[in-house]
Amino acid sequence: MRDQRLPGNIRTACLLAAALAALPLLRLTPLWLAALLLATGVIAALSSRERPWPLLLRLLLTIALSALVVIASDFRFGRDTACALLLAMLALKVAEVRGLRDARSLAGFALFATFAAFLQDQGPITLLLALPALAFTLDAFAQLAAAQAGDGTAIAWQSRLRSAGGRLALAVPLALAGFWLFPRMGTPIWGVPENAVSKTGISGRMSPGDWLDVLSDDSPAFRVRFDGPEPPRRHLYWRGPVLWNFDGRAWLPEQRMRSAKPAQLIAGEQRYQYELTLEPTEKRYLFALDWPLQTPQNGHLAADLSPYADAPLRALSRYTMRASSDALIEPQLPAAHRQLALDLPPGFNPRTRVLATQWRREGATDGEMIQRALAWINTDFSYNLAAPPLGRHSVDEFLYETRTGFCEHFSSSFVFLMRAGGVPARVVTGYVGGYRNPVGAYWVIQQSDAHAWAEVWLPQRGWVRVDPTAAVAPERVFERYQRDSGIGSFGGALAPMLNVSDWLRRGWNDLVLSYDVARQQLLLQAMGVKPEQSWQGIAVFVVVALLMLALTLLWLARRQTQPLAPVLRAWRRLVRRFERAGLARARHESARRYGERIARQWPGIASQIRSLSQRFTNWRYAQATLAPEQSDALTRDLNRMRPPHRASSQSGDVS
Amino acid sequence: MANPWRQRFLGWARPRAPEALPAHIDRHRVYVLPTPFGGFIGALLATMLLGALNYNNNPALLLGFLLAAAVHNSFVRAHLNLSGLRLLALQAEPVAAGTALHLHCLVQGDGRRDRPALLLDCDHIAAGAALHGADAQRVAVQWTPAHRGWQQPPRIRVQTRFPLGLAVAWCYFWPRAQVLVYPRAERNPPPLPSAVGLGSAQAQHGRGDELHHLRDYRNGDPLRDVAWKSSARAGQLLVREYEQPIANEMSLIWPATHGLAHEARISRLAAWVDMAEQQQRHYCLQLPQRQIAAGRGPAHRHACLRALAELGNA
Repeated sequence: MRDQRLPGNIRTACLLAAALAALPLLRLTPLWLAALLLATGVIAALSSRERPWPLLLRLLLTIALSALVVIASDFRFGRDTACALLLAMLALKVAEVRGLRDARSLAGFALFATFAAFLQDQGPITLLLALPALAFTLDAFAQLAAAQAGDGTAIAWQSRLRSAGGRLALAVPLALAGFWLFPRMGTPIWGVPENAVSKTGISGRMSPGDWLDVLSDDSPAFRVRFDGPEPPRRHLYWRGPVLWNFDGRAWLPEQRMRSAKPAQLIAGEQRYQYELTLEPTEKRYLFALDWPLQTPQNGHLAADLSPYADAPLRALSRYTMRASSDALIEPQLPAAHRQLALDLPPGFNPRTRVLATQWRREGATDGEMIQRALAWINTDFSYNLAAPPLGRHSVDEFLYETRTGFCEHFSSSFVFLMRAGGVPARVVTGYVGGYRNPVGAYWVIQQSDAHAWAEVWLPQRGWVRVDPTAAVAPERVFERYQRDSGIGSFGGALAPMLNVSDWLRRGWNDLVLSYDVARQQLLLQAMGVKPEQSWQGIAVFVVVALLMLALTLLWLARRQTQPLAPVLRAWRRLVRRFERAGLARARHESARRYGERIARQWPGIASQIRSLSQRFTNWRYAQATLAPEQSDALTRDLNRMRPPHRASSQSGDVS
Repeated sequence: MANPWRQRFLGWARPRAPEALPAHIDRHRVYVLPTPFGGFIGALLATMLLGALNYNNNPALLLGFLLAAAVHNSFVRAHLNLSGLRLLALQAEPVAAGTALHLHCLVQGDGRRDRPALLLDCDHIAAGAALHGADAQRVAVQWTPAHRGWQQPPRIRVQTRFPLGLAVAWCYFWPRAQVLVYPRAERNPPPLPSAVGLGSAQAQHGRGDELHHLRDYRNGDPLRDVAWKSSARAGQLLVREYEQPIANEMSLIWPATHGLAHEARISRLAAWVDMAEQQQRHYCLQLPQRQIAAGRGPAHRHACLRALAELGNA
């Protein structure tokens, strides 16, 4: 193929389409990188209009930008790195778009960026951005095809937009048939590559001061809908990874617990059932209301009853759970668990150890140890997110010097104190509370609801939840939605809007994102397809797709009559009006003769109608001599002309 | 398409024989294949859909199916752009074999839709057309016939990449028509045979015997042409100039090309006809079974060349 040079307007259309296609992904890249890539693209587009950048410059820039992207992601190669590289290549490709082939490959690869954006974010905004990108890309394809056929006539952008929109609308029936009925894969063939830079969220590791970014992140972590009664707010502890091991600085989970059998659980009276929709985290941590009575569908319970997913959560996942708030957990503590729950690294926090042994010497029981610790924390400590950093003996420093901190400080110190005093204890991470959206009656738990608390084991009572933070700042923990951030924070004006927008997002999650092979089976079952006979499902897909195809074909193959010229349409409407008023027009009658008859019947408008019919005749037979404005004026005047009412026409006769 | 495959396809493609005009393209006669660009987009789409299915990424899947449906519809639209097309008439001005001939095709849409971006071609050079509604349009398609005589024109391919350039749809018109093709004129023909009945020797001298006038001597003039007496009178060298009596009516006769192969004789005569026409001379043509009386002008030339074109093969 001869690579002809593109006309400027078509090149612009291609670049615009590529920019729109890259936009959804650009929105998800770090701001500085997005700005840099955008600037590169714009400069490339402007400076290569006459001739493409020299090869050497392109090569150097490619290397430089790639290196920058790789360095920015700390030399880890993840999904986000690949996306950033794709964007960089697109920005540089702009510099060599001159001919048909370059323009086509740019527009095609830009579409790839649109798809890549969905790997990063499946929200409705990304789709909303992707639709115009698709429309404009199709329009660019159409223009390139016209250029290839040598048809250089520029088409008004309105009609181009209309036909691009029409193209998309026409694709909808077939697309929906494919979306709902195309056989889905139950298990992926290959896994999603991970991001090099992970999202904020519970990380399975906790050391005091770690979580500041999580606690200031208002993005939703998961949404919960209760089936039946809802637990009181102070029971809303969403339990995640349990941390057993303290290395002096950070708390970490115990790997052996993950694969062991779940601990014995004797359910109490108070039971709740709920459905939890978890945003993708790229990690395996699941969350369940205290205490989980069953394993989630997509995972299992560890020995410490924290739920783990079978695979990293790369898409929205949903599971239903039952919980019992007053269950008895592990009444007999195995020796191994007891040893783990008492283990402390030597050489850290001597003052706290001394304090614990002193309390024990004073004859405190396990329960009194807890009471004493909570009472102390309650009186002498304060809650503050801006806690000073702690040194080597973090617990000592917190308990005796800074005495201000947030959940991490409290839970870490409390568990240390308990263990030092011989009370088996562990740190639990997860979320607490949540915001109840009145629109839709469901709970949304944000990242900023992240929390850490403690569990201690007491004879006969098993593991008991103790939240030392709640002892200091219960309102911080339970009335979290009244804090200065989060959905409910704006109080008056914005709250309803935010409620509705989150509700819409939840609907999107329910309707679009969580549609999978299981939901497809349900849909097919409703159509009478038995799940074990997979050929029936395929048959349904084929039949529906063919129906949609027939619909599309009917529409495509319809007679596309030429649009009537506005003047002609206006004239025909005028004739119809006068015919209704009682003056039929003969089929052979010319416009001027009919006008003359009108003039005789309604002398009041005689001069106007004569001039109008004359002007229409001129338009009909000498259109080329008229300016477009004259045609428009004629249309307007024809539309304004009405047969006079009977009364007025009589009065006209009289006068 | 590789050549043997192309031949095989052409043997199978409709129409399989020339057809009477007006010819109508129905849906059986339209072929659609993806263009290379369509293949690229198809591969891109397959990757995206496979990835989206694998990750159960619903928005990506939705967008992928949307794009796939749009691509599919563009294939249908390309097909519809051709089906319903009609070839009303074919007309061509005769030219010599081996030169480009313009087949003027009168094509018409059926009024169901506009048909932009049509390309018509026979050999390589395509002519564009765009039909609005039921309008008819004349399109000149180039064809280089190889042989003289009444020739059946080859298939005329109509193709379109409308609307997105992802699919190419094409169909063939094969009008049953006879187009006159003049014989190929010899490239460097010998000069026209001189007037009727002149001896060959004199013809070779190239000089007549009637004195026309005297002129000044120029270097190289043969001495025997010098008019000595007149020169003496005039005081300078004068040379006799003769006029060759040119026959107003010249005959291009078949036997004059004796010794050449059959087609070569026809080529030479065709070349002579053109030469005679260029020199604006009256000429007659004598062929084994036909005679064309002397004449001049386009109609006469056409009659002569047509007679030559229609000569049977040896």
